[in-house]
Amino acid sequence: MKYSKAYGFIFLMPVVIAVAVIYGMIIWNLVAAFTIWDGMRATWKFAGLLNFFNLFELRRFWVNVENNFLWLFFFIVPTTLLGFVLAYLFNSLRRAEKVFRQIFLYPMALAFIVTGTLWAWMYDPGSGLINSILGGLGINTAKLGWIALPNIAIFCMIFSAFWQYVGFALVIYMGAIRGLSDAMIEAANIDGAGHGRILFQIIFPNVGHGTLICTTMLAITTMKVFDLVWIMTGGGPGIRTEVLPYMMYRMTYSQHNIGMGAATSIVILILAAAMVIPYSKWAIRKWVR
Amino acid sequence: MGDKRFKATSIVILVVLAALWLLPIYAMVNTSIKTQEEVAAQKYLRLPRKVAFKNYLTAFRALRVGLVNSAIITIPATFICIFLGSLAGYYLTMFEFKRSQLVFFWIVVASFLPYQIVLIPITTLIGWLNLMNSYVGLILIYVILNIPMATLITATFFMKMPVTFQEAAALDGCKPFMFYWRVLVPVSIPGMISAAILVFVQIYNEFLLAIALTRGPKIKPVMPILAELKGSQIAQWNIQMAGAVIVSLFPLVIFIVLSEYFVSGLMAGYSKE
Repeated sequence: MKYSKAYGFIFLMPVVIAVAVIYGMIIWNLVAAFTIWDGMRATWKFAGLLNFFNLFELRRFWVNVENNFLWLFFFIVPTTLLGFVLAYLFNSLRRAEKVFRQIFLYPMALAFIVTGTLWAWMYDPGSGLINSILGGLGINTAKLGWIALPNIAIFCMIFSAFWQYVGFALVIYMGAIRGLSDAMIEAANIDGAGHGRILFQIIFPNVGHGTLICTTMLAITTMKVFDLVWIMTGGGPGIRTEVLPYMMYRMTYSQHNIGMGAATSIVILILAAAMVIPYSKWAIRKWVR
Repeated sequence: MGDKRFKATSIVILVVLAALWLLPIYAMVNTSIKTQEEVAAQKYLRLPRKVAFKNYLTAFRALRVGLVNSAIITIPATFICIFLGSLAGYYLTMFEFKRSQLVFFWIVVASFLPYQIVLIPITTLIGWLNLMNSYVGLILIYVILNIPMATLITATFFMKMPVTFQEAAALDGCKPFMFYWRVLVPVSIPGMISAAILVFVQIYNEFLLAIALTRGPKIKPVMPILAELKGSQIAQWNIQMAGAVIVSLFPLVIFIVLSEYFVSGLMAGYSKE
């Protein structure tokens, strides 16, 4: 006998209300994006696609989109790859496994604001940690501006996020690899397959769910990067490290252009939904008996 | 034989990488206790000749109000999230409810969407409710945004409870809330702790809403204050790092002491099982 649903429905209510508020706000935001705004004041007149056209005319918007795609590729691929390889190498560790897991995972507990403060110092051209170490090794660091150099600033920033999230990928893949049968790997070992082959031709195809989780979660993270940009560069040099989530805030609160801010957030919504919805369809299976 | 060599190589690789991963935090703590003169010498990896704890005093003085504010906001928000979220998780996993798949779908989507998507409505809503720059406003918003995640994680742990348990309880005339409070929660304490840690860290580390919904230092949580400290102490790396250490202390201690829960929370929230 199970409890009847009518009695317990009250348990579900708070979450239903919260989720309804969230989706209500998303719809509200959608309406705002199609409304003519007089600075901070809504006229509630239908604007059609005006806000979007204004947005698409900005070169800044397209630079932001490009930067977001740089993030997608250069954040997700290395983080997933290293996490995966590390998870495999962890098999050799046995008892020290927990200690090493902690070492790679601790940055996950830090705030982006802390990571950003820390790495902004590490990258500082004049008195940063990296240049001081390189200088100590006798390397001329005069040209190594890291985060201050327009062409590589965004990669420096992505690297600090990579440092923070490798532990996440590691933990996900450790779980996924543990779920595989030992017999499969043993058999490959006996067949004389090299470690590279075992890793990429036998294990990788069988931990697809781990890869899905990792890439989706990291992809969503790239749609949230705001704190890191704020604290490390403020979008600079110029707008070379600006990304959509940061521009959305700037448009709305610094330039008081809510119409365009809302339009930007709709672009973010579309990109994020394209990542979250397929994942969610797959993920809900684990909660349904 | 090949296996032994592989093992040795992988351990070497892991040790080198681990050292690289620890380097930033070592440098951070090391620099945070140095005097300004020693910092200026830029030998960041060398241990300090003179320990300057007064950096921590300077940083703490700037961050104190922010830390208190963060505690006032984060602790109640976490408790409310876990309580309400676990009630829903209980309902969704243990009751006869045909639509649970659909409800789960919308909860999962809601828990992963970026905050930017609802930022403008949130500030408007909070303005209307006259809760701008108030603890209640921030707590309310954090609860709304984090309840979905709390529901998902607790539900994952509740799934481990055999259905026969509550069937037997129902036959004995145990009311649903009693079952939740007397049986499910005590049995699922590890799951509740995992969920609480994840939600706590998420709220404590949050920055976007913390700056959008506060004006001036009175209510501001600690993350925006640390950001301001970084702006006001330019090139005073020792003060900046001391501030970063103070702010990270609590999440890091939780993480080190309760890391098993942290990991199982991550697995429950994101992974397959």
